Amino acid sequence: MIGAGTFVLSNKAAEAMPRIDFLRPPGAINEEDFLYGCIKCGLCVQICPVDAIKLAGAGEGLGFGTPYIEPRLQACDFSCDALQCIEVCPTAVLDFKPFKEKGAEAVEKAAAQPGVDLSQVNPFEVQKVAMKEAVLIGKAHVNKSTCLAHQEKGFQGTPRGNDFKGVHRSPGKNEVSASPLGEREFDREICDLCITECPIGEKAIVQKLSRSGKLVPKVLDGCTGCGVCQMVCPTQQPSIIVEPV
Amino acid sequence: MLSDYISNGKNKEPLPPKPVEKMPHTLAGLSFKEWRDSRKGNHKMRNIRWSVLLFMNLLFVFSFWLDLSVLEGSLSGSRLVGFYLMDPFNALQLLAISSTTGYMAMLTMNFFIGLATILIFWFILGGRSFCSWMCPYHILAEWAEKVHLYLLNKKKIKARTYHIGLRFVFMIGFVLLAILTKNLVFENLNVVGIISKGMIYGPSLLLLWVLAVILFEVFVSRRFWCRYVCPIGATYSIVGKLSPLAIKFDLDKCGYCLECQKVCLVPHELWFVKRGAATQETHFVGSDCTRCGLCVDVCPGHALNYSVKGAASIL
Repeated sequence: MIGAGTFVLSNKAAEAMPRIDFLRPPGAINEEDFLYGCIKCGLCVQICPVDAIKLAGAGEGLGFGTPYIEPRLQACDFSCDALQCIEVCPTAVLDFKPFKEKGAEAVEKAAAQPGVDLSQVNPFEVQKVAMKEAVLIGKAHVNKSTCLAHQEKGFQGTPRGNDFKGVHRSPGKNEVSASPLGEREFDREICDLCITECPIGEKAIVQKLSRSGKLVPKVLDGCTGCGVCQMVCPTQQPSIIVEPV
Repeated sequence: MLSDYISNGKNKEPLPPKPVEKMPHTLAGLSFKEWRDSRKGNHKMRNIRWSVLLFMNLLFVFSFWLDLSVLEGSLSGSRLVGFYLMDPFNALQLLAISSTTGYMAMLTMNFFIGLATILIFWFILGGRSFCSWMCPYHILAEWAEKVHLYLLNKKKIKARTYHIGLRFVFMIGFVLLAILTKNLVFENLNVVGIISKGMIYGPSLLLLWVLAVILFEVFVSRRFWCRYVCPIGATYSIVGKLSPLAIKFDLDKCGYCLECQKVCLVPHELWFVKRGAATQETHFVGSDCTRCGLCVDVCPGHALNYSVKGAASIL
């Protein structure tokens, strides 16, 4: 059995980088400050409507009690709309300030556009989108050797099986809250789930004709690393993976 | 007045011990033994306290599980219907590290409001009241203590006591360690946080560490963590230094039986119960006291009671 000393050591090892299959929640500051700034209260865990955030046990090598996201099991799908985990954090290791500024900037910009009818602009919507797009948890990378689209394959059925517990709010369906992925059916001639289910949309990932003439997903600079693509990817091992930046 | 409030009469000359005809058992017409055992089995305060402790900890658990949103977070930091509350030792470590890294400016207003709320709340209710009325480790330690005392009684183990100031060594040590490693090192050893988070967010391997501490208390030293280690308790002890809520001792009701010291977590704070030790007609138990009420339950003469310091002079 592992004694307490080991945990102190594993905490030190985490100074380098969190493990690649774990991501910090949105708005996380640099890992070095994060490790002492986080008081492990779990408020971010409690506020998340899709239960994407978990607290690390002794085994994750992340620093005991610190929050992380394992997108393959449950990605952050921006269901809360306003980055509530960041807002609730008392020690600002999930730092709300830059998002607040980005949101205000976007509202100002939208109002200042020439010929804009202010009654038609919903400032909350503008702010929400701007804050969401400012998130940078990581960046998605496509594994070409397993991606169905790269093999010109389609997809029919439920991507992760009916028993899959993960939920998400599909951008196309205009849902109020997230619904289980295990209840959804897809039928695509060429698999494009990562593209259609992305909560950010065309700024983050698009379908593109490759040089060899295949319709494949291409990750753009707008990717926030939310990991919804990683969660919905139907291959045995995810063919699109978010890596911390 | 204030110096009396603080010194508690420790530096004065002791009063002469009471003669036998003024002892409470004589006045009650009982033998000393009958009188001493007259309140055996009375657990009123303890039962109230255990109920509060379990209720508050379950409120944490169910706020998350059932999405009640009444008391969110854990004992490290929480929100009570939206108002932030911060653990003071955790905050102390964080502020200590932040002072060296410049992180201080990042901390939110909610953090400082939460810390101030906790400090004011526990100042009023007596700093270490947190320990016996809120801390989930405390209740486990009380059960472990029963086993320890049983083994001690059977002479299977021997009693070991250490210097009570040890916790301040641990407290300062953990703060220094936090600064040096830029890490909340104590959080990995904090049995209080491990149990609290284990209940709310699911068990962790670190519960084995809690088990190790409990076994140490059973077989080696009575209430070792709470008495000699816990820096959270040490912090609350400082917070409650001048708390108005305290256990009051009335010398004229005392029969020098020392039953209170036998059940007490911090018997050194009951120094005045020994025959010929009290220097005043009344004393208040000092800031290491957790206001657990075990002495209130057991005292045959009702000489120890919850009281508000200075209330008599105000009313």
